[in-house]
Amino acid sequence: MYARTTRLTHREQVGPDCHLLEFDCPEIAGSARPGQFVHVRLTGGFDPLLRRPFSVMNINPAQGSFQVLVRTVGRGTMLLAQSEPGSEFHIIGPLGNGFALPGPPGEVVLVAGGVGVAPLIFLAAALHQPDNYRYVRALFGAAIGGDLCSWLELSLVCDEFTAVTEDGSAGEQGMVTDFLPAQLDRGAGCVYACGPTAMLAEVAEQCRRGSVPCFVSLEQWMGCGVGVCLGCVIPTRAAGAEHYQRVCKDGPIFDAAVIDWEAMRRGCGPG
Amino acid sequence: MAAGRVDLRVDLAGLSLANPVLAASGTFGYGTEYADLVEVSKLGGIVTKGITLAPREGNPPPRICETPAGMLNAIGLQNPGVDAFVRDKMPALRELGVPVIVNIAGETVADYVALAAQLSECDGIAALELNLSCPNVKQGGMHFGIDCELTQTVVAAVREVTELLLITKLSPNVTDIAEIGQAAGDGGSDILSLINTLLGMTIDIQQRRPVLANVTGGLSGPAIQPVALRMVWELAQAVDLPIIGMGGITSAVDALQFIMAGATAIAVGTANFVAPGVTGCIIKDIETFCEEQGIARIADLVGAAHAEV
Repeated sequence: MYARTTRLTHREQVGPDCHLLEFDCPEIAGSARPGQFVHVRLTGGFDPLLRRPFSVMNINPAQGSFQVLVRTVGRGTMLLAQSEPGSEFHIIGPLGNGFALPGPPGEVVLVAGGVGVAPLIFLAAALHQPDNYRYVRALFGAAIGGDLCSWLELSLVCDEFTAVTEDGSAGEQGMVTDFLPAQLDRGAGCVYACGPTAMLAEVAEQCRRGSVPCFVSLEQWMGCGVGVCLGCVIPTRAAGAEHYQRVCKDGPIFDAAVIDWEAMRRGCGPG
Repeated sequence: MAAGRVDLRVDLAGLSLANPVLAASGTFGYGTEYADLVEVSKLGGIVTKGITLAPREGNPPPRICETPAGMLNAIGLQNPGVDAFVRDKMPALRELGVPVIVNIAGETVADYVALAAQLSECDGIAALELNLSCPNVKQGGMHFGIDCELTQTVVAAVREVTELLLITKLSPNVTDIAEIGQAAGDGGSDILSLINTLLGMTIDIQQRRPVLANVTGGLSGPAIQPVALRMVWELAQAVDLPIIGMGGITSAVDALQFIMAGATAIAVGTANFVAPGVTGCIIKDIETFCEEQGIARIADLVGAAHAEV
């Protein structure tokens, strides 16, 4: 874990309310693993107060930079989206557990929803490294075509790629989870997913029925990012003191089988 | 005055701190979590996350959300319980080299008494902080801290079973902070700390429901600093006990205001989440301020603003 003042080196609008940001930080670029996140302080002051967590989308160790995807959902993300290259941000990272690689044997299916594509791009790239090699099939869904942010980056690091939009304006029409059964029928060693809670719950259920290991990247309102404040917990099936686990420290990657998806569906996640 | 010549030591009812800056309960874990980011040994001391007799799983999520210049939390005292605390957390806490204040919370007077008795047998604890002010639990917590009689009863009961220094952490969710503080003093509290969080809530207008699963939560952060300062000011006028002031402190300017309002020491809470190194900056900037002002001892500034009123 590093705490560094970094420079925003590149900003690019990649969707109606989505920006790709690149930061200069050799330490984070050199140590981040797929599934980990960075915690970005928005200003030098305390309003907006809290840092914002973003999954690392990719790293460029040679250049000493890394990228994140930022969807504008409020005042804090708006500040980031409007920041000019050259601006400085204090960032703590890499944080969280990350995906366990190379994971279960067999072909991999990725299921991305909206801006949830970010950690899966990093994962897919890692799964094409010789040490971790897996055949990767990706499903990427969004409400409209414009929300398929950075689909090109994902398609470039996958062996098969299917885009799905709810309105049919790009790729197949429907929900991304409508296309998962066919993927599972073809056989899959493991499914990795990141996106809205409802999508993740459906992915987890299909994988449970198909007895396919499934790992999800979760988000939650986050305070400290390092496991102290116990603010970012999600409900698991475990009883007692283990029932609520921290997205920042115990996650953000969880085995879908340990999550209490009923409680998640009742509104326990911001997605 | 040369650098390093300011005497930053303060005395809290016999507990000597190297400087007046503490890390507040619930914002610094059990002392080790921030070791990579903070020079913990430079702090005046740390106050550990609230401990209960039995483990607690805490409240359902969402537990926190951001508000203007602040945040709401309804953690609900998630903690591993006192046995696990003593076994798993205390060994590392003893190695930190700073005074360790253990925050305890209960649902009944008997809970507080049992916790205090058990922790009195444990080496390495500088003081107990009685959390009579947690707004996020259904039983106990703030229920005690908003009633003079209950406050005095629980403090007195704990006083009977421990020689440890007792700090009573007060709730701001009262009409008259001074009478609660006096009641804690009458019960035998050595030190008073304030404020815990202010009860608040926020609503998601798209979903038409409260954001926090617990509906209400405790407000912290810079938004509450003026309220906290006013309460420290009022308490300092009413009691002679040493005060640990907290509530929205993010800078030495904030910290010095609390000291001048009558706090002997201060605690930094929510700011740790945003700027983990903030406590070190506050200590350094307090020292610089004293050098510039020709103040030899920070203790000389305690309550200084009262003299001018």
